[in-house]
Amino acid sequence: MTRQLAGALTLLVAVSVVALCMGTPYVAPHRLPAALSGDGLEAVILTELRLPRLVLALAAGACLGVAGLVLQEALRNPLAVPEMIGVSSGAALGVAAPLVLALSVPAAVQPLLALGGAVFGGVLTLVAAGFGRSPSAVLLTGAAVSAALQAGLLVLMVLADQLDLQLIYRYLLGSLSARTWDDVVGLGPWLLVAVPALVLCAPVLGVLRLGDDDARALGVRVHRARFGALALAIVLIAPVVAVCGPVAWVGFLAPQLARRMRPGSDALSLLPWSALCGALVVLCADQPARLALAPIETPVGAWTALLGVPAGVALMRIRRGAAPHRTAGDRAVMAGGDR
Amino acid sequence: MNVPTAVRARAPETPRGRSTRGPFTFGAGARLSLLAVLVAAAFCACLFAGRSPSAGQVWDVLAGRGDATARHIVLRLRVPRALVALGAGASLGLAGLLLQSALRNPLAGPEVTGVTPGAVLGAVTATGLGLAGWESPTAVVVAACLGGFTGAGLLWLLAGRRRSDPEETVVYGVLVSAVLAGLTSMVLLVAPGELGSVVQWLVGSTEGRVWEHWTLLWPWALVWGAASCALAAPLTLLRCGDEQAAAAGLNVARARGAALVGAVALTAGAVSAVGALGFVGLLVPHLALAVFGADLRITLPGAALIGAVVVGGADAGAQVLSRVLVEGFGAERMTVPAGALTTCVGALLLLVVARRHTAGQM
Repeated sequence: MTRQLAGALTLLVAVSVVALCMGTPYVAPHRLPAALSGDGLEAVILTELRLPRLVLALAAGACLGVAGLVLQEALRNPLAVPEMIGVSSGAALGVAAPLVLALSVPAAVQPLLALGGAVFGGVLTLVAAGFGRSPSAVLLTGAAVSAALQAGLLVLMVLADQLDLQLIYRYLLGSLSARTWDDVVGLGPWLLVAVPALVLCAPVLGVLRLGDDDARALGVRVHRARFGALALAIVLIAPVVAVCGPVAWVGFLAPQLARRMRPGSDALSLLPWSALCGALVVLCADQPARLALAPIETPVGAWTALLGVPAGVALMRIRRGAAPHRTAGDRAVMAGGDR
Repeated sequence: MNVPTAVRARAPETPRGRSTRGPFTFGAGARLSLLAVLVAAAFCACLFAGRSPSAGQVWDVLAGRGDATARHIVLRLRVPRALVALGAGASLGLAGLLLQSALRNPLAGPEVTGVTPGAVLGAVTATGLGLAGWESPTAVVVAACLGGFTGAGLLWLLAGRRRSDPEETVVYGVLVSAVLAGLTSMVLLVAPGELGSVVQWLVGSTEGRVWEHWTLLWPWALVWGAASCALAAPLTLLRCGDEQAAAAGLNVARARGAALVGAVALTAGAVSAVGALGFVGLLVPHLALAVFGADLRITLPGAALIGAVVVGGADAGAQVLSRVLVEGFGAERMTVPAGALTTCVGALLLLVVARRHTAGQM
C-alpha cells in the first residue's frame, strides 16, 4: 500500500511541477520557488493563472472520482457513472439553458442551476428504473434519460446564436482554461457539506453492494440509501459542472483505477484512492489540453473522453479476465458482479 | 392480468389463419396503402407549409401558373427538400428495424451503435481537412459512410465478437459514441468555422436541400432498401433467437452481418443527407412493429413508410413552427430544424419504451 501511495503521490507531484513549469513563459523547475515568491510577470502568471488551474484540476478530479465511486457502489454497476445516468447532462442543461435564453444569471446561482438539472436527470433515472433494483435496468434507463437530455442541449444549441454557440460548445466539452481563485473558492462550501456526509455514508455503501434483499435484511432502507447516495454524488458533481463543465468520464475511470490499485478493499477505504486517481486523471489530461495544440486551448473533457474511455474499458476487461471462475462474464460486468 | 390470458386464448387460431393466407393479408395491404396515402399527405404538407410563397401561390405553380420566383422556390427548393426528407426518413426507419432485429435489441438505434457519431466524425473530418465542402455533397456522403462503418466496426470489435447480450451492446455503443464525439470536438477545434453548420447537422435539418442531395440519396437508399427487404425472411427468423434460427437452417452470423452492413449503409446515406435526426431510427421500428406485427416481410416496407411519414411530418411541423415564431415573436433569424421536433418527441417516447423494456425485465 505504501508503495502504491508513494508512486501515486510522486506522479502527482511530478505532473504538478509540469503544470506549473510548462507553457509560455517556461519556468525552469529549480526557479519555481523564487518565481512563486517574487513579483513580476512570471509570479503573476504562476499565482493567478497556473496555480488556480492546478488546484481546480485537483479538486474537480477528486470530486468527480469520488462521485463516480459512490454511484457505482450504490447502483452496483461499474458503468453507472454520471455520464450514463443523466446526472452530467442534466447539470450541463441547467447551466446552458439560461445562456441560450439570454437570461443573466449571477455566478453564485450557477451551481444551484446545475444542481437542479442534475437532480432532475438523476432522480428521473432512478425512479424510472425502479430505484435501481436491477443494475442493468438503471443503465438502460439512464442511457435513455441522458440521450434525451443531450438532445435537449442540442436543440438549445441550434436555437442559440453563433457567438453563444461557441461558448456553449466550449463549456459542454469541459474546460479549465481561464479559471481564477474565485472559481476554486466557490467549490469550498459544497465540499464542506459533502465530505462529512461521505464519511457518514460510506459504510452504508458497503452494505448496498450485497444486493437489495441482503441489505434490507441488515436493516438498510434501500430506496432511501440509494437516494442518499445519488444526492451525495450530485452535490459533488453539480458545482464542478457549474465551474468547469462536464469533464467527461472521470467518474468512470477513477474508481476503476482505484480498484486496480487496492483490489478487494471496501468502499470506505476506496474513497480516498478514488479521489486521488480522479485528481491525477484530470491533472494529467489537462496537460495535453493546455500544451498539445498550443496556442489553441483544447478542452480537457475531450481528452478525458478520448483517453479515459478506452483505458476504463481495458481495465474492466482485464479485471474480468483475471476472474475466470465467473461463468457469465458479460452479465457479471453488467451486473457489477466483479467484486 | 386479463390481457395476456385473452391473447393466449386467441393465439392458437391466429397463426393458422395467417399461414393459409400468407403474409399479405388484406389488413396488412390496407394498412400499407393507408400509409402510402399518409406519405403523399406528408409530401404535400412539406410543400405547402412554408412561409413564402403561401399555399395559394404553391398551388398556382403546381397548376402551371405563378411567377418566376415562386416557381423557382417551389420547384428548386421545396420539392427536393420534401423528397429528401421522405427518403431520409424511409432509410432511417429501415435501418433502425434492421439493427433492432439483427441485434435483437429494442433499444438499438443508429445513435447508440456508434453509426451516427461515426458518420458525423467522418463528414466533419473531411470538411476540416479540406477534402470536402458542404457544397460538394458527394465527398461528404462518402466520408460519412466511411465514418459510419468505422463507428459500427469499433462497436463490433468491442462487443460483437462474442455472443453478447443486448444491454452490453448498448452500453459499449454509448462508450464508442463518447470517444467518437471527443474526436469530433478535437476536429472542430482545429476548424472552428464549421461549428454552426455542424450543430445543425448534429440535430438534423432539411433546410437547403436541393436536387443534388436527392439524386445522391435516392439510388443509394433504393439499392440498400431493396437489399434489406430481401433479407426480411432470414431476419424474421433471427428475431426468434439464435438457436431457433440455426435449427431452421440459417447461417446466423452471415445473416446478421448482412443486416448490419445494410443498416449502416442506409444510416450513413440518410445521415449524410439530412444529419442525425434524433430518435427516428430508434423509435420508428417500435411503431412499425406495433402496427404490422413481427413478420418483417411486411414490417420492413412498413417501417420505411412510417419513417417517411414521421420525417416528412416533422419537416412540415418545423416549417409551421418557424412561421409561427416569425409571426408571433418577430424572431426573423430563428428557424426550427426538423431534427429538433423529432428529438423532443422522440426523447419522451424513448423514456416510455425504456421503462416498458426494463419493467419487463424485472
